[in-house]
Amino acid sequence: MTSKIDITDLSLYRAMAEELNAHPETFTVLGEADMVLALVMRRDEGSDFAVRIRFEGLRCEAVDEVDASEAPLADYFLDGPLAKWQAMFDDIVANGAASGRQTINSLALLATNAGDVRLRGDDPMGVDKFSRFNQTLQEYLDGAARVAVTA
Amino acid sequence: MTVTEPVPTSREHRSYDSLPSASPLGAPLDWKWLKGAKSEWGVRPKIGPRGLTMLDIATGSYGEVPEHPPHRSMAPRGADVDPDTPDMGYILNNKTDVWAENVTELYEEAVARQWSATRDIPWAELPELPDDIEHAMCQVCTTLTEVEMIAADLPAKWMWRMNHDFLEAKMFLCTQIMDEARHAEVFRKRALANGGGLLMSRGSSEGLLRTILEAKTYHQATALMHLLGEGFILDIFRMGELIAPSPVEKRMFRMAMQDEARHVAYGTMHIRYAIEHDPDIAEEIHEALDHGEVVLTQFGTNQDFGSALAVLLGGGVDFIEDRGFPLQAEMQRKQFTSYLARCERAGISRLHRTKLPLDVLGIDPATVLAN
Ligand SMILES: [Fe+2]
Ligand SMILES: [Fe+2]
Repeated sequence: MTSKIDITDLSLYRAMAEELNAHPETFTVLGEADMVLALVMRRDEGSDFAVRIRFEGLRCEAVDEVDASEAPLADYFLDGPLAKWQAMFDDIVANGAASGRQTINSLALLATNAGDVRLRGDDPMGVDKFSRFNQTLQEYLDGAARVAVTA
Repeated sequence: MTVTEPVPTSREHRSYDSLPSASPLGAPLDWKWLKGAKSEWGVRPKIGPRGLTMLDIATGSYGEVPEHPPHRSMAPRGADVDPDTPDMGYILNNKTDVWAENVTELYEEAVARQWSATRDIPWAELPELPDDIEHAMCQVCTTLTEVEMIAADLPAKWMWRMNHDFLEAKMFLCTQIMDEARHAEVFRKRALANGGGLLMSRGSSEGLLRTILEAKTYHQATALMHLLGEGFILDIFRMGELIAPSPVEKRMFRMAMQDEARHVAYGTMHIRYAIEHDPDIAEEIHEALDHGEVVLTQFGTNQDFGSALAVLLGGGVDFIEDRGFPLQAEMQRKQFTSYLARCERAGISRLHRTKLPLDVLGIDPATVLAN
C-alpha cells in the first residue's frame, strides 16, 4: 500500500501539469480547452489550501498556489473539505484513474453541502466550463496516479 | 498558349486605370472589388498558437455585430453590399433575437472538440451484462436517441430565418446540429451494440418534443430547448457515471456531456443577453417555461425512461425499491435544482413562478440560489 500523497503540496499539481503536457496522446483527442479553475481544500483549523490551474489550447499552462479568497476569480472553483479531496486523490492513485463516484463530475453532482466537493463560481459563462471541459480536467487529475508512482 | 508569370509586387497602392471595361463575352466590368470597395482594407489579424480562430479575425469593423443589421441578404458582414441585394426573408433581425456573448468562443470550442461515435467509444470492450441491466440501458438509449434530434431540428427550423449578420450564431448552431447527429448515433449504436435492441417509445416523450418544435418565437424555442430540455438532458449525461454499467457507457455519456454543456451554455447566455437588452422578452420566456415545465415533468416521469434509469441507478431490478427509486428521486431533485439555478444565471428567475412541484420534489429555494 502506497502512503498518501501530499495534496497540499503545490509541486504535485505542477508535476501533474508536466505529466499532461508530456503525454498529449491521452488528451489531445478531447480537443483544446481554455479555462482557469481553482481547487480549494478546506482545513478545519483554517489555513485553507487553494491552487489555480490554467488550461490553454492543448496544454496546462500555469499552476499557482493562491489564497482561497481568490478562487472566485477563476472561471469556476471546486470547493470542499481536505478529507474529501484526499479520498478522491487516494482513489486515483489506487486505481490509476478516478473510479466509481470519485470522478470530479460525480463528486460535484452528488454534493449537497459544504461537507462535499462543490462546484462554485460567480461567472455564469465560467461555471459552464466545468462540464464543457470536464474530461480534460479529469485527465489532468488522473495524472496524479502516474505522478505518484514516479515520485 | 503562353502563360506569363505574375510579377511579384509589393502591397503598395496601385492605380488600375487601364483595365478592360468589358469581359471577353461583353459583360461590363467596373473593377470595384479592386479599386473602390468600401472595406477595411489592410486588416491583419494576429495568428495565435492554435491557428487562426474566429475570435482572431473579429478585428476592427469585422468584429462588430450590429444590433439591427441594415441588410436582409446573405452578404458577408463587413462586405461592401450592393443596395439591391435581395431580401432572404429573415425574421430574426435583432441581435437580441439570437446572439450570446460567448457564441464565437463556443463555435471554436465545438470545432476543436468534435469526436467520433464510431472511433472514440471502445465498443469492442462492451461486457456481457445481466438481462435486466442490458434491457434498462437499451431503454435509456431508445429514449435518448428519440429525443436527441429535436435539438437539431429546432435550430434547423429557425436558422434560415436568422439574419446573416449573426453568422457566428448560425455557425454555432450548425455545430450543435452535428453534435446532435452524433448523440442520436451513439445512443442508437449502444442500443444495438450488445445484443439488445430498441425498446419502448410512448407519447409522453413526443409531447415535450412537439412543444419545443412548435414554439412560436425563437426566444421561446431556445428557452424550452436549450435551457429546459437540454439542461435536463445534460444532467442525465452527468449522471452517466452513476448509471453506466461499464466503462464503455461511461465514455459515451462523458463525451456527450461536454457537447451538451456547450448547447446549454449558448442558451443560457442567449437568454441572458436578450433580457439584458430587452427586458420585455422576459414575460414571453416565462410563458413558454410555464407550459414547458409541466410537459417536462410528464417527460421526466415517463414510466419507461424513469424506471429504466432507476434500474441502472440501483444496479438491477432486485434493488429498485431499496436503491433505485430513492437515488432516482435524489437525481431528479438535482436536475430540477440545477434547472432553476440555470434560470437564475440566465437572468430569468423562476423561483416564484415555477410550475414544478418544489415541495413534492423536496427543493429548497435557498439551495437553488446557492448553486
Ligand atoms: Fe444532444
Ligand atoms: Fe444538445
